[in-house]
Amino acid sequence: MSATRSKRTEPILSARGIVNRFGKQQVHDRVDLDVEAGEVLGIAGGSGSGKSVLLKTLIGLHQPDSGKVLIDGKPIDSIGAQEKAALIGVLFQQGALFSSLSVSQNVMLPMREYTDLPVSEQEQIAAVKIELTGLSADSAVKFPAQLSGGMVKRAALARALALDPRMLFLDEPTSDLDPLTASAIDELILQLNRGLGITVVIVTHDLTTLLTVCDRIAVLVDGKITVGTVEKLARSHDPWIRDFLHGPRAQGAMKARRFNHGIR
Amino acid sequence: MPGAHSQWSSPTLAIEGNDDRLSLDGVLGIRTLDQARQALERWRKQRKSHVLDVSKLSGLDMPGAMFLCELRDKHVELAGVQPEHEALLELIGGLQRKPLTKPPAVPRWRQLVIQLGKGADDFWHDAIDITVFVGRTMSAFGHALRHPSSLRPASISRQIAETGINALPIVGLMAVMISVVIGYQSVAQLRPYGGEEFTISLIAVSVLREMAFTAEIGVMKAREEIDALNSMGLQPFDLLVLPRMIGLIIALPLLTFFADIMGLLGGAMIAQSLLHVSPSQDMERVREAVGVSDLFVGLVKAPVFAFFIATVGCMHGLRVRGSAESVGRETTRAVVKAIFLVIVFDALFSVFFEKVGL
Repeated sequence: MSATRSKRTEPILSARGIVNRFGKQQVHDRVDLDVEAGEVLGIAGGSGSGKSVLLKTLIGLHQPDSGKVLIDGKPIDSIGAQEKAALIGVLFQQGALFSSLSVSQNVMLPMREYTDLPVSEQEQIAAVKIELTGLSADSAVKFPAQLSGGMVKRAALARALALDPRMLFLDEPTSDLDPLTASAIDELILQLNRGLGITVVIVTHDLTTLLTVCDRIAVLVDGKITVGTVEKLARSHDPWIRDFLHGPRAQGAMKARRFNHGIR
Repeated sequence: MPGAHSQWSSPTLAIEGNDDRLSLDGVLGIRTLDQARQALERWRKQRKSHVLDVSKLSGLDMPGAMFLCELRDKHVELAGVQPEHEALLELIGGLQRKPLTKPPAVPRWRQLVIQLGKGADDFWHDAIDITVFVGRTMSAFGHALRHPSSLRPASISRQIAETGINALPIVGLMAVMISVVIGYQSVAQLRPYGGEEFTISLIAVSVLREMAFTAEIGVMKAREEIDALNSMGLQPFDLLVLPRMIGLIIALPLLTFFADIMGLLGGAMIAQSLLHVSPSQDMERVREAVGVSDLFVGLVKAPVFAFFIATVGCMHGLRVRGSAESVGRETTRAVVKAIFLVIVFDALFSVFFEKVGL
């Protein structure tokens, strides 16, 4: 990542013809998806529509039945571990913090593995990342079991940022959080994107996150994907997308969107 | 950093210029930070006024920005900052950048004392917990005896099947094996195969089975099923602990008897193959050598061990808090504690039977 956002027309990540099957059920039916550098892309869809599997496919944790994922034009499985670590940061749904390590040790782990920096320097960097995600300095010595749900997400985000990745993948960053904490996380995502120029991909069914944070939304319905801005998707004729964006819950989120855009 | 990916193998940083004005060319990032710090610290200390030209930087990441902010704080003037780098510097500069708080270091000898104290405290609490748990079990037993209808025959018989019948193959195999080993070691004198030796194999098996108690109840606890039972006014004690306990108390003596038989079979096999004593001769010798008391000792110990094994297993299951890792931890503790208790009570039994002359 860096503040210099490149103005390339080529997408930073592109998936072509992704097919995923589980038994007879086809979850993804030749899905194409481009992620532009510097954008915030939301991936939405009903429960069981294959959002998380798509995310795992995009970051190379799941091998699709067919299709390919390219990052900067390179197939994802040809990218070395170290380069991948500096390219991609992932926030898993449950945080996936290592329970035997403290928050600061969690954040320092990737640095310890992939850089030769002295420990004191690593500690400084970890402290800044922890502060950046809104955690207090004294929570750095705490262990994951001692953290609340929102703090776990923040700590996991700090770890995902450890190597300054160019892309950040977030799996349900606001699920299981109270609305205030969820809004704070939304705000944090925007700050990382606008301030640091990190490309963000969010898997979520939190309408407020989708409508207030994301530049574009990709909706998975029946194994197919529809990508567009909120305005474009709102005019869609697909019944699921229409219900999703015009249902009672969407009304409040739309208000939040107008409110936010008014401020910006 | 843009550009960093194409030169991933070695992002480079060149430091040029002289005297008061240096310029950075390349990528200032996590991988070039060490180099930059070493070169610039020396320069900063030698000179009085400093200007650092960063206009040629092609990449800057957070650690790099931290370093530049640090220099700026130490009165190094940054020249030619690109607007996108300025945004990052502002973001980082706006943070407090406090060092990590570290827990105060405790000397090794004090840690030892603290651990010893904690260990003793844990032991004390464990002793109280077990006593309380045994008391509650007894009262639940008493209640069940007065109201036999509150017993759950279906779940008791399921527990007997799980701990008893499913354990038959492994218990049988172990009994045969052990008697073969003992047979080999004392071929000359056909030692009596009392119930004694087989309790060992039985205890091993039942302690392992007890892991299932802890894990089952622990997972239920972690998933709030125990709370759900409580909220319905149902007693987890009656529902979960008693059936397991009664089941094991019934199953373990039966298993003991089965293991005795299998052990005698193993003895007969070894007698036949090594000493050429026919099975019928062997049976007669066994009848002479083995008294009823040998069988009795094994059968008396079994329910007592069963009681303690089930107690420890269930108690640790109910101690699980919230997470999956807690289930694993409690299971391990339960097994260690059960083995400890069984050995202690085995020793007490030996002394007792010696005194009463059995």
